[in-house]
Amino acid sequence: MHSPSQLKRDFLKQWLKGLQMCNYPKKEMSILERKKAIKLSADVAMASTRNATSCWSLALIANASKDGNNKCLVEHLLGQESERLKMASTFQLAILNKKLRSKKIIKKSCSVRRVKKLAPRMVLASSVAKRLAKNRTQLLKSLVPGGESMDEFSLIKETLDYIVSLRVQVDVMRCLANASDLLNCKGVHG
Amino acid sequence: MNRALPEMLHCLNMPGNVASGGGTADISVLERQRARMKWQQDQHFLIGNHELNVFSAQQLHQLQGSVSNDPGFAEYVTRALKPDPGMESGWPDVGKFGGDDHLGYGACGYGNVSGIEMNYEAIARTVSCPPTVAAAISEAAVTETKGKESILPEKLNSAAGRESFKKRKADKNHNLKVVAEEDVKDKRIKGCAEEGDSKITEQNSSSKANISNNNNRETSTDTSTKENSKVTEVQKPDYIHVRARRGQATDSHSLAERVRREKISERMKYLQDLVPGCNKITGKAGMLDEIINYVQSLQRQVEFLSMKLAAVNPRLDFNIENIFTKEIFPACASTYPTIEVSSEMANPAYFQLSPLQQVVSCCGLEMGINPPDMALKRTTSAPVSIPETFLDSSCFNQIQATSTWDSELQNLYSMEFQQGRSTTFPSQTFTGSIEGGNLKMEM
Repeated sequence: MHSPSQLKRDFLKQWLKGLQMCNYPKKEMSILERKKAIKLSADVAMASTRNATSCWSLALIANASKDGNNKCLVEHLLGQESERLKMASTFQLAILNKKLRSKKIIKKSCSVRRVKKLAPRMVLASSVAKRLAKNRTQLLKSLVPGGESMDEFSLIKETLDYIVSLRVQVDVMRCLANASDLLNCKGVHG
Repeated sequence: MNRALPEMLHCLNMPGNVASGGGTADISVLERQRARMKWQQDQHFLIGNHELNVFSAQQLHQLQGSVSNDPGFAEYVTRALKPDPGMESGWPDVGKFGGDDHLGYGACGYGNVSGIEMNYEAIARTVSCPPTVAAAISEAAVTETKGKESILPEKLNSAAGRESFKKRKADKNHNLKVVAEEDVKDKRIKGCAEEGDSKITEQNSSSKANISNNNNRETSTDTSTKENSKVTEVQKPDYIHVRARRGQATDSHSLAERVRREKISERMKYLQDLVPGCNKITGKAGMLDEIINYVQSLQRQVEFLSMKLAAVNPRLDFNIENIFTKEIFPACASTYPTIEVSSEMANPAYFQLSPLQQVVSCCGLEMGINPPDMALKRTTSAPVSIPETFLDSSCFNQIQATSTWDSELQNLYSMEFQQGRSTTFPSQTFTGSIEGGNLKMEM
């Protein structure tokens, strides 16, 4: 795994590249558009640093590429990698969807067989616990990009990766925001 | 399970030769002690390590006379001693006790000293039951390479053991018969051996083997010792042998479930390290809660920061950083006299910068390289003042940072551009020809 500073540098480079690309087509953008552009370039840059090793990054890129406006930006940003990444992401998504569907079929067919023979109270407690855990897993799946098509085990691994990347992203963005703030102050005073 | 206690004792006594006369009296004493210990464990589980240590020390001394050397058992213990780093603090104390059998109990007792909760929990539960101790330790030995995973089998083993402990608690007051039935005894021993035999890796196709093993409980006791010695075989990395623990279902579904759960809980531990404030929470649902909160907060931070950046920069140009870095660089410029900065000199200078400044200077540099493109495109609408300021600072940055950042930037920027840049720089001096250089770059 890269050192965090190396990761930060990679992310920053990609991100700024993306921002410049955003800037070329239009001169004037509303604040919301700018924000979207910033966020998008940040996300794609983050995903590209992972270099298709993790599922969430591929899902993120795939989602970003779906939107027509963003497509060219994504392609430019990723450069020669973009084709490969896109292929990998679509491939992986297809596989995962298949897995999910087959799992659902198996579950439906097997659900009748397994009968729990525990005491009623224990059943209640365990089922409540399971339901809680299940709700939370669903929520986590909705948070992590591409999480819906993952089983619980790989979901946790993806979450780990995603948390690290998010942290790097937040750190770099915060630095940049602070720097901009300071510059603005200096610009105002000086 | 009424006869559980004496059978457990017999299980231990069988491999060695115990004087029968003394044995009977000792057994009843032993089982009473065990029952007491278990009861106390159940009561005092949450109180503290040292209590159990004291208690187990007592137990050890009392058991001294009746327990014979079990070479196989000692074997597991010695193997368990080496790998588990968490228990290292406890091991030096083990030497106090003489004999191999004591080593086992001492190990179990002092396993409590280790800071790892689960170890403590597992071994606390297993002190009273030597076969499950053997199981736990052999499991620890077998899964040594898996680090944290070794804790889990013990924990799960203890979870299974707990059920049997509760049942035996009721037997506390019974005066147990010395003569145990042969077949039941064999079952217990076989069960011990099998519990000791778990090797955990990947597939569950060996569940059939498990089921057949469970059915073999009626075989003679001779095989038990052989199996005990087989415990520490090297496990094949290809597939998992998962044994059904006592009191659990043996069908492949539940075995698969168990492996899955263990894998998940191992991963959750890594998450615990990553997410701040997760150390105290042990349940899966609570952990998931924390993780979800953390991810949500990070995502919200990203949104907020991107909004802030959008508000700060009306044109998304981020050239303002250059001015900022210009403020920083004068401080650094004093450290090196000449403008022609060699890479060796530039590196220490950059180490002096804080990470923020480094980051900013990095992006400042990139801004410096790209603005000429942007300047070209903005020929009509660009006011004169802005190009001057940013080109000023960009050249400043470039002079400082060229040599250091060249290698990094090669993969990002086109070669021709770099060549163009490198030709202009050596000829520039600090103040005079910067404008000239700027004009060149603008072209």
